[in-house]
Amino acid sequence: MTIGAYLEEFHGLPVLDFADAASADALPDAAAVAWRVSGATYRDGDDPEWGGLFEDFLKTVDTHRVRAIVVGGWEDAYDTSSAAIVTALIAANDRLTGLEAVFLGDMTVEDCEISWIVQSDVTPLLAAYPALRELGVRGGSGLAFPSVRHAGLETLVVETGGLGAEVVRGIAGSDLPALERLELWLGTDEYGGDSSPADLAPLLSGEAFPALRSLGLCNSVIEDQVAAAVASAPVVARLDRLDLSMGVLTDEGAAALLDGQPLTHLRELDLAHHYLSEAMRERLTAALAPHGVRVVLDDPQEPEDDGDGDVWRYVAVAE
Amino acid sequence: MTAGPRLVVVGDPAGRRVAFFQDALRAAGLPGARTVGWLDVLRGRARFAAGETVRVDSPGEVPEVDRLLRDTDDPARVEGGRLWYERFTAAVAGLATEARRAGAVLVDDPAETAVLFDKRLTHGRLAAAGVPVPASPTSGPGGAPVRGWDDLVALMAAAGLRRVFVKPAHGSSASGVLALETAGGDRVQATTSVERDGSGRLFNSLRVRRYTGAREVGALVDALAPDGLHVERWLPKAMQGDRAADLRVVVTGGRATHAVVRTSRTPLTNLHLGGARGDLPAVRAAIAAAGGRWEDALAVCERAAAAFPGTRCVGVDLLPGAGWRRFAVGEVNAFGDLLPGLTGLPGSGAEGLDTYGAQVADLLRAAGTPTSSTTGTSTAP
Repeated sequence: MTIGAYLEEFHGLPVLDFADAASADALPDAAAVAWRVSGATYRDGDDPEWGGLFEDFLKTVDTHRVRAIVVGGWEDAYDTSSAAIVTALIAANDRLTGLEAVFLGDMTVEDCEISWIVQSDVTPLLAAYPALRELGVRGGSGLAFPSVRHAGLETLVVETGGLGAEVVRGIAGSDLPALERLELWLGTDEYGGDSSPADLAPLLSGEAFPALRSLGLCNSVIEDQVAAAVASAPVVARLDRLDLSMGVLTDEGAAALLDGQPLTHLRELDLAHHYLSEAMRERLTAALAPHGVRVVLDDPQEPEDDGDGDVWRYVAVAE
Repeated sequence: MTAGPRLVVVGDPAGRRVAFFQDALRAAGLPGARTVGWLDVLRGRARFAAGETVRVDSPGEVPEVDRLLRDTDDPARVEGGRLWYERFTAAVAGLATEARRAGAVLVDDPAETAVLFDKRLTHGRLAAAGVPVPASPTSGPGGAPVRGWDDLVALMAAAGLRRVFVKPAHGSSASGVLALETAGGDRVQATTSVERDGSGRLFNSLRVRRYTGAREVGALVDALAPDGLHVERWLPKAMQGDRAADLRVVVTGGRATHAVVRTSRTPLTNLHLGGARGDLPAVRAAIAAAGGRWEDALAVCERAAAAFPGTRCVGVDLLPGAGWRRFAVGEVNAFGDLLPGLTGLPGSGAEGLDTYGAQVADLLRAAGTPTSSTTGTSTAP
């Protein structure tokens, strides 16, 4: 599976494509929507470049009222990193004085394979926008996240088909006292996802992110190992939502969860896209549902037999 | 109602297409058409009579017919397109000669059928007519040949193409089609329903899979190349929900009469590959929201059909660009009318008729026969 849809909502606001809005008669209040600024990844001759679109956007809307920006695609995103986009966003921080949320790389598979999106070091954005509350990034290639301190960031989402260990360590080692929600798509080693639960140590131990309430460690080819690590992780006691969806979670990982610390305090345990047996699903539900935990077991997967005796299990988003 | 033309349909006598066409004739109050099987055509046994109007339909997937056309009776096999094309076009030409000799007429011009079954020639003709098509280095009679992977890499580099559809020149329904993408660092990936078995034979499977790396993808291209390949730019498609969308628009007698949206999670939208019918009103709304007009989208299809004035009915694959602002024509299919149960677009003149009903009405109009819907003076409001 791949990414097939654009964000319709971001930072609690409906997403509006700036180019669509510009061709309409009246623009909405700049604070009422999340503005999508998106260029063609595979450009045709007359497709505008992202930089020009962004300039138009800054000239057209009341920039001081803009709360959220969704960067879609940019030209040659499979070869050209997001560095220029990050630079352009930073350069506008004197105009985007109310910016609270940025998503970087809202592209579908038709725009660019997720593993081909070339990202860059996105932490300068945090330095340039001390009031930023939400940051989302899609694509793990070239992504860098050296440990930073940011007092305001509440939500960090990194969606990849493979998240490098160095990035995972950089995030886990960051000082983000306000961070309430963290979601990492760890991916597969095939696409650069070479992290192990050990790279998450400061996060799992509960030392990092004192405000954390929602933790997603998703889309991992080693979801069983992640689940086993989470089962004994002190941070879990503070969470009301735990998300281990989209990965290759089998009965082994689920059993580790059930045999670990109590999870009955959770509001939600999301295990959608899983490889769990009927019996294990029943065990999970019986153990947690009576305590008011919403156990999400949607999208059950079947291993694929390739006919050569090999069985394949896939994460939800890899390519 | 006056009797219409004396119709003959050449097709698979036991197949759905012929049955739908006969149903449409009956629904119009006409006698059924005489059926001539493709097997008889290929064995030189087809005969026609003076005054007959001959509609040539698809040979279908009759194993015996397939064997005569491309030396294989396994419908899943990909190879044999070139052979199929040579024998099919020769058979259509022979059939036309036989019909002429007998004083019968063909509904469609065989020379156009020959163009429509070569994607390179079709693309060239559309481009020459100013119809928007994806860029292609293999377009038209002078298009570059693709003898294998090395040719393809060179052509893509010369044209600055990073993402292309590679299509067997004479294929149909996504058979052998590769959605190919390349990027720096020798990244290569192909999405396709083609499967190679241990001995290098190619099969169409119902599962879309991915091949990565120049070696894997190159081997596929090398295996497909002998049948002739058409290459065109893969334009990012518009999305409907979380699926890529395109449209199959049937143009009958010059008017866009039927449209169906096809959506897919893969670049191949064909319904048998997990594609699903999408939501046409939502497409119309999306086009309007992007500042475009649905009528303009249909007009593109009608212009594509107008490049084939000697063919009464074609199925046009319309590719909406990301954001629904632009349209290009991906394919024009001579036998693109198999959309069971789909009735005509409002205002198309084919309301309440399926694609076969619309063709029957069109044949009657072409033959100058008044139909029930056009009898009397037009006093309708």
